[in-house]
Amino acid sequence: MQKNSRNSSADQEDETQAMPRIIVLMHWLLATTVFFLFASSWWMLSLPLPSEDFTYRELPFQLHKNIGISLFLIAVLMVSVRMVTTLGQASVAQSWMQRLVFLEHLLIYFLLLVCCLSGYISSSYSGWQTTLWWLIEIPAWTAENDELNIVFSDIHMWTCWALLVVLILHIAAALYHAFNNDGMIEKMFRPN
Amino acid sequence: MSSTGTAKNNFAWLGVVAVLFGVLLLASHSTELLKQIVLSPGSSADMNIAAQCREDELEEEQLSLQECQLMVSNVQIVLASSPEWFRSFQISLSSIGIAAALFSLVAAYSLASTVGGKGSMALLSFGMLLLLDVAGFIAAVNTGPLLRAQYLWPLLLWFFIHLCMLIAVIIAKNNTNAAEV
Repeated sequence: MQKNSRNSSADQEDETQAMPRIIVLMHWLLATTVFFLFASSWWMLSLPLPSEDFTYRELPFQLHKNIGISLFLIAVLMVSVRMVTTLGQASVAQSWMQRLVFLEHLLIYFLLLVCCLSGYISSSYSGWQTTLWWLIEIPAWTAENDELNIVFSDIHMWTCWALLVVLILHIAAALYHAFNNDGMIEKMFRPN
Repeated sequence: MSSTGTAKNNFAWLGVVAVLFGVLLLASHSTELLKQIVLSPGSSADMNIAAQCREDELEEEQLSLQECQLMVSNVQIVLASSPEWFRSFQISLSSIGIAAALFSLVAAYSLASTVGGKGSMALLSFGMLLLLDVAGFIAAVNTGPLLRAQYLWPLLLWFFIHLCMLIAVIIAKNNTNAAEV
């Protein structure tokens, strides 16, 4: 598509540069899994509490943990790739808008990583074993501890709510650029 | 901007909106599939086993005893009000729904990225999603009031979202065709 005339400055040319294919792929993978985790976790927490008779939570929780751990690994990989690919651009003078976007992305990654990590730590303190995708048993590194389980469970919950708020802002910004037709959104749809 | 450019722009923003709804629909159908797999007939709640609510678990989850007991009732509501055919139907429908949502993501992606795209894939995708919404709606209508209360309203919302997207793609497609003539 022909660039809008508003995109004439050098700064904006920089912003509209297409993203590497791997980043775009990981971005959409994260987006789909994050929203599945939100939707499924709201439902699974309404299931009966676990006991010998009631095992309804077993599959959803295992799946939640498996996806969460995979998400963490993808997010770490994505941050690493972004650090490598954007390292060369770090010295370029940035507008306040670019700095805000950078901070927003940083916040998303931070919340995503803390959310996943706190969920895993909370699960470890709960005493429930984690078997990654029903294949690799992750060894228990700590004993059961109810107090720490609650602390990390709270961190998990609040970082997830914060993540949802930041994601809503992120999506609102994406829609703004899409409706405004300023070429910004294209970099996520036309990768290098 | 030329009329061709405007038509392409319509496709671009439609694509972005369609990606957003595609991601949410994928989460919705995946959760429904998980729900139907987990809540199987003949399980503990179906056998009227009383809820087991340990004090420490209630504290951990910040639940009252009554809420804990109602969690079992919640499962009983789904199991007791599902006709025999409903679970297998929902498993099939949500599996097809997952595939259709993934297809809609591809179609939306092509809408947002294609220069002068025709939007045919998006037309097919939204048409298919509409049919799935209708099938889900008809199925839910044929269950009892408890399941209807859970399913009908979200299904109606999805139906109208997909209807809006379908109409928007048709208009954008017509505009592109007209601009190219």
